[in-house]
Amino acid sequence: MASERPLLDASPDAPSPLPPASSLLPPPQREPPLRAERLAFSVDIPDPFIPSSHRDHQPDPSASQREPQEGDESRAVFVGESSGAFVGNSIRTAKYSVLTFLPRNLFEQFRRLSYVYFLAITVLNQLPQVAVFGRGASVLPLAFVLFVTAVKDAYEDFRRHRSDRQENNRLAAVLAPGTAREFSPKKWKHIRVGDVVRVASSETLPADMVLLATSDSTGVAHVQTLNLDGETNLKTRYAKQETQLRFSQDGSIGGVLHCERPNRNIYGFQANLEIDGKRVSLGPSNIVLRGCELKNTTWAIGVVVYTGKETKVMLNSSGAPSKRSRLETQLNRETVILSIMLIGMCTTASVLAGIWLLNHRGDLEFTQFFREKDYTTGKNYNYYGMGMQIFITFLMAVIVYQVIIPISLYISMELVRLGQAYFMGADKDLYDESSRSKFQCRALNINEDLGQVKYVFSDKTGTLTENKMEFQCASIRGVDYSSGKDTDGYSVVVDDLIWTPKMEVRTDPQLLKLLRGGGTDEERMLFLEFFLALAACNTIVPLVLDTRDPKQKLIDYQGESPDEQALVYAAASYGIVLVERTSGYVVIDVLGERRRFDILGLHEFDSDRKRMSVIVGCPDKTVKLYVKGADSSLFGITKKSLELDIVRATEAHLHTYSSLGLRTLVVGMRELSRPEFEEWQLAYENASTAVLGRGNLLRSVAANIESSVHILGATGIEDKLQDGVPEAIESLRQADIKVWILTGDKQETAISIGYSCKLLTNDMTQIVINNNSKESCRKSLEEALATTKKLRITSSIGMLSPELASESAGITLALIIDGNSLVYILETELQEELFKVARECSVVLCCRVAPLQKAGIVALIKNRTDDMTLAIGDGANDVSMIQMADVGVGISGQEGRQAVMASDFSMGQFRFLLPLLLVHGHWNYQRMSYMILYNFYKNATFVLVLFWYVLYTAFTLTTAITEWSSLLYTVLYTSLPTIVVGILDKDLSKATLLAYPKLYGSGQRDEKYNVNLFILNMLEALWQSLVVFYMPYFAYRQSTIDMSSLGDLWALAPVIVVNMQLATDIFRWNWIIHAFVWGTIAATTICLFVIDSIWILPGYGAIFHIMGTGLFWLLLLIIAVAAMVPHFVIKAFAEYFTPSDIQIAREMEKVDDVNQGKRSEIL
Amino acid sequence: MEEASTSASGKTAAHGRQRAFPPARSGVFYRFTQQNLPAWKPAMTPGCVITIFLVIGVTFVPVGLVCLHASNHVAEIVHRYDIDCVPNAYKRNKQAYIKNSSISKNCTQEVKVKYHMRAPIYVYYELDNFYQNHRRYVKSRSDKQLRYGQKHTDSSCGPIERNDGLPVVPCGLIAWSLFNDTYGFTRGSTEVKVNRKNISWKSDQESKFGKDVYPFNFQNGSLIGGGRLDPDLPLSEQEDLIVWMRTAALPQFRKLYGVIEEDLHVDETIIMHIENNYNTYSFGGKKSLILTTSSWLGGKNDFLGYAYLGTGSLSLFLTILFALIHVKNPRPHNDSNYLSWNRLNSNS
Repeated sequence: MASERPLLDASPDAPSPLPPASSLLPPPQREPPLRAERLAFSVDIPDPFIPSSHRDHQPDPSASQREPQEGDESRAVFVGESSGAFVGNSIRTAKYSVLTFLPRNLFEQFRRLSYVYFLAITVLNQLPQVAVFGRGASVLPLAFVLFVTAVKDAYEDFRRHRSDRQENNRLAAVLAPGTAREFSPKKWKHIRVGDVVRVASSETLPADMVLLATSDSTGVAHVQTLNLDGETNLKTRYAKQETQLRFSQDGSIGGVLHCERPNRNIYGFQANLEIDGKRVSLGPSNIVLRGCELKNTTWAIGVVVYTGKETKVMLNSSGAPSKRSRLETQLNRETVILSIMLIGMCTTASVLAGIWLLNHRGDLEFTQFFREKDYTTGKNYNYYGMGMQIFITFLMAVIVYQVIIPISLYISMELVRLGQAYFMGADKDLYDESSRSKFQCRALNINEDLGQVKYVFSDKTGTLTENKMEFQCASIRGVDYSSGKDTDGYSVVVDDLIWTPKMEVRTDPQLLKLLRGGGTDEERMLFLEFFLALAACNTIVPLVLDTRDPKQKLIDYQGESPDEQALVYAAASYGIVLVERTSGYVVIDVLGERRRFDILGLHEFDSDRKRMSVIVGCPDKTVKLYVKGADSSLFGITKKSLELDIVRATEAHLHTYSSLGLRTLVVGMRELSRPEFEEWQLAYENASTAVLGRGNLLRSVAANIESSVHILGATGIEDKLQDGVPEAIESLRQADIKVWILTGDKQETAISIGYSCKLLTNDMTQIVINNNSKESCRKSLEEALATTKKLRITSSIGMLSPELASESAGITLALIIDGNSLVYILETELQEELFKVARECSVVLCCRVAPLQKAGIVALIKNRTDDMTLAIGDGANDVSMIQMADVGVGISGQEGRQAVMASDFSMGQFRFLLPLLLVHGHWNYQRMSYMILYNFYKNATFVLVLFWYVLYTAFTLTTAITEWSSLLYTVLYTSLPTIVVGILDKDLSKATLLAYPKLYGSGQRDEKYNVNLFILNMLEALWQSLVVFYMPYFAYRQSTIDMSSLGDLWALAPVIVVNMQLATDIFRWNWIIHAFVWGTIAATTICLFVIDSIWILPGYGAIFHIMGTGLFWLLLLIIAVAAMVPHFVIKAFAEYFTPSDIQIAREMEKVDDVNQGKRSEIL
Repeated sequence: MEEASTSASGKTAAHGRQRAFPPARSGVFYRFTQQNLPAWKPAMTPGCVITIFLVIGVTFVPVGLVCLHASNHVAEIVHRYDIDCVPNAYKRNKQAYIKNSSISKNCTQEVKVKYHMRAPIYVYYELDNFYQNHRRYVKSRSDKQLRYGQKHTDSSCGPIERNDGLPVVPCGLIAWSLFNDTYGFTRGSTEVKVNRKNISWKSDQESKFGKDVYPFNFQNGSLIGGGRLDPDLPLSEQEDLIVWMRTAALPQFRKLYGVIEEDLHVDETIIMHIENNYNTYSFGGKKSLILTTSSWLGGKNDFLGYAYLGTGSLSLFLTILFALIHVKNPRPHNDSNYLSWNRLNSNS
């Protein structure tokens, strides 16, 4: 982001290019912005302390770190000549075509291992020897699941196709070859590399293009990158003077452009253009990317360099890496147990079958129900000998018992998550009124992880704070001016129009007086320099907006850094108003006097230097270097000996500011002598035209010139806390969630923010690790460990003697560690020590950390514990951390949308974490856990019923239940209620969950899904299957009962029983749940009616017969009751003797309801 | 950048665009979106638990008694004859006896009526250890052929599909193994009539077995499995076959043979004239003849009654147990101090 700051045009014959337009004022006419209000509050840039280079690397370090290496091919583009050598500009986001849909979609679906299992079973069933189910019936469940998914995919792909088609068929004005300025419309998909395209205002760019010329005489174009990274602020791009001039003179274009190969780095571009025998260097500020919109610029002309899928936007559209939820991972363990059960059952059945065959081997030929020989052929009929027979039985058993691994579970889970996502999105408590942003579930497979979080890693700026910067204090030459008062605001007069800065900043009256001539000239000069530095040393672009009053104009400072905006607004309020910025100069209204400063060079902010600087040619022909940056960085390059007292005073002020929680910057200046300037200029030109290693060269040039700086002063900018942050953090801590703050800010600022958001309290013992070498880090860590041990011993003594307990329990530890130390700790053996210390601390604050360190800290916890980690942040610098954590939450706030794009969930405010975790997370976890266990249980019940029957069929895998019923059992008879319950049921109300954050602990302790619960469920399944099977067995033994009738009973009874089980576990019965639970039983009965009305099936009429007998109904009743008694008793006793907190809270809730007389909700 | 987001987020986003958020803050739909629909919240309070068990106990015990009563009123005569009917000379080699068609299979057995048996008295034959639910067996039939005749003979009938190249009607192992023992009854010198009509399901006669499908080429193979069929009767009227082809669920099963429509009196001696044709000796099966009355609950079976009694008394026991626990050791309800973290604090 920072890298797109304008580079000085550095063609050899134009050392300080003058703008081609002769008059300086008025500024070039711009298109009146159509929707200025919307642009107005869109200011995004991350913390200036965070190295931009790191920031750029986050989405994909490997791809973006790549600077062109020696030998790397570069791409040669002949301007104006379409080249067919590169990919076309048509894009294709759709995955499938009509032809490839079936194979590819199936391939995608079968990447899920369980589907392969089900497919294998289905295939197995097609073998005539093993066929248990009819061919059609056996394919049904898998086909159903595949079909539902395929329809979903097809619909999504259809939408992508449609948008692709629209996109590809859009028209763009392309320069007709061999002509000048004759642009003809051409479809986007026909655009090729080398084409010259003309784009008008508010049009979208069809491909990545290097700007050649724009309507602005200085070659400026503004683009909005909303579609690219979601940021709504305008970014400035420049056409090179050479091409701009050429085009404006005779409309001609030409030249050869050498650029790097396509890569993913949105913020990097290196190329050079050979034109008229000159080599012009091009950087990221010269390229406009596909998907951006041209704004505030009448037209722009560019040459296409990357097309279609090679454009940066397409290369970046791979999406976030997919994560798997904890429950889904744990579920695999249970699946393995079930597989073992399955194998056990199959082995039992086949061994018993073998024994039976062995015992009857002499009778098989004459036994009426077996008759192994077919006398017409004289061969055995479907009999392959003992061994083979046992093997076949085994395979058949696998087919019959396959449902013990629930096929419908995976699709149920997806549907449940979809429903949960809907309700999270619809929740009014997650809706941010101020930014009108809804909660978004971007990853659909980790909803339930929200209920198990133990660590929250939070960014500070923009996450805990609003990232709306407000200038609060200034310290100039060692004097503090921070008693700001509201003023009328300052405006300048341009062409009889009054231009007013959009935002007013409170000003210090004394300082104002001094500026307006209250002090000596020398003093005044210094003050002016201070504010000039603020106004000039940045990348802010002033936009002039219309107001209702035609005489009034508003100046809106657009820029990527909120800090810089705050500084420029502050300078404006003191009367130093930035009026115009082009690539070559700025116009600043200095207390009513318009002055033009040439920007001769700009050294971007980077993480090593932690400062930026501009070289300015002043109207009085002097050349000055203005520099601003972090205090540590600036004090290192000052002439300390000369102005020791000022430095000291400033340092003292900085300390005060940062302990107030303000973000501080130090501003400095240096006057350059002619030789110094010329020396610099030469180096700068060389560096900025280099194609290879340009970044490093520029950095070293900057480091050379940025020395012997005079300290002008320092600024303090307030970054306000978001609403409800202290309360949210308090609740999170009550919920036993450890909150870590990872910030790029300084230690003092971080600590003060820590206090203001109640993370740190006065009764905490702080352990500060702030070292510059590995050895000292080791020592501090050891000391810290010793401290924690000591505390632990006292607290364990306290446990023994109750009177001490309360005392020691009150002592909590807070670890404060800075990025410098982390450099020596992370990725070394000291990590382990840090982990030990950090685990003992209830609060951890990391300051001055780089983005990759953030990810490193998350990894520190994630790799060493089973604890669920959540990272929340809003900026590009948080992307790595968000992707590293188990759950990544993006704040859709001020710093653009990279964080949101990388996140799993996005929302508007930090405080929404509370309802998200404590309420929805809790619900999701509870529901999903129950649903998984229930699915295992219900299928096991059914399979065990099938298994018991096999013991009475000479172990031949006959199912009394019709094959249709046994296949429909999982997909239809029992799946819908669990999905609905998984979406709608709530164990506790939102109010209760928020009132008692500790209730969240059930998810952290895996209380709702663990092996014990699984075993309990399996035992219940065992009991219920015994009841379901043996009640009818004993009742109908020695009777005329036929297979189909009994089969119908055995199909209906488990459906009733498992639904009863569900019914006893449902917490809240609203009408939807009622409808689905009872409706399912009714639907099952109807299905049985339908199946038994098909005359071709052996069971024709069976259900009607058996339902006509009293015995059937009495049996159903006793099965339902006897099957449920143990579950009910266990539940009743468990709730009575060892009630969980959730249970107790639910009872309280119920009593509350009764007290409030909510009639509808009374039992 | 739609492709960068997952499908679902795309959906929710689309949703958001169409509809102004938040929706009207009232109405059922709003309550639905906020997951706040009116709901019944059952809780297992001791009172509730005690009531439920009490209700179960109070209803199930009487139901169990009624069931037992019904079962006790069923008079049943079970007589196993497969061993008794083998002449002593063949006791050691029953197979030789049954396979030898020259030996008369007639056999007379006597039973004494112990209770008064009111008509209708059902005559069943019971087979044991006969797996009518064996996979090979169950599959070996063609419902199409049974209804539409020999043109629809298919391979599902194997190994009894064709004989001498001609289709067998009815085909398949089930039909082939048709039970063919016959029974007659006399008391004193008078014959007791057995009504052999309407012993099968109406639905089977009407829809499963064709009215114009006649047995063809049946039991002509080298191995005879069981009974023969009258080739002049359509399948829909071959009630023994229809009954036989409703395959039994369990290896011990009864099939209806006929109905005696007169009362049998206490201490009467009934002579059973059995034609013992069916070979159960090859696989160690058992054959019995059963005369039984019936109740509303069906035949004689005490199990259901005991099951109800057992469940009912267990429930009553649980009711008492729970009531005792509740009285002796009441647990606080609706007390926030009872929450684990509060308990922890108050303990220390």
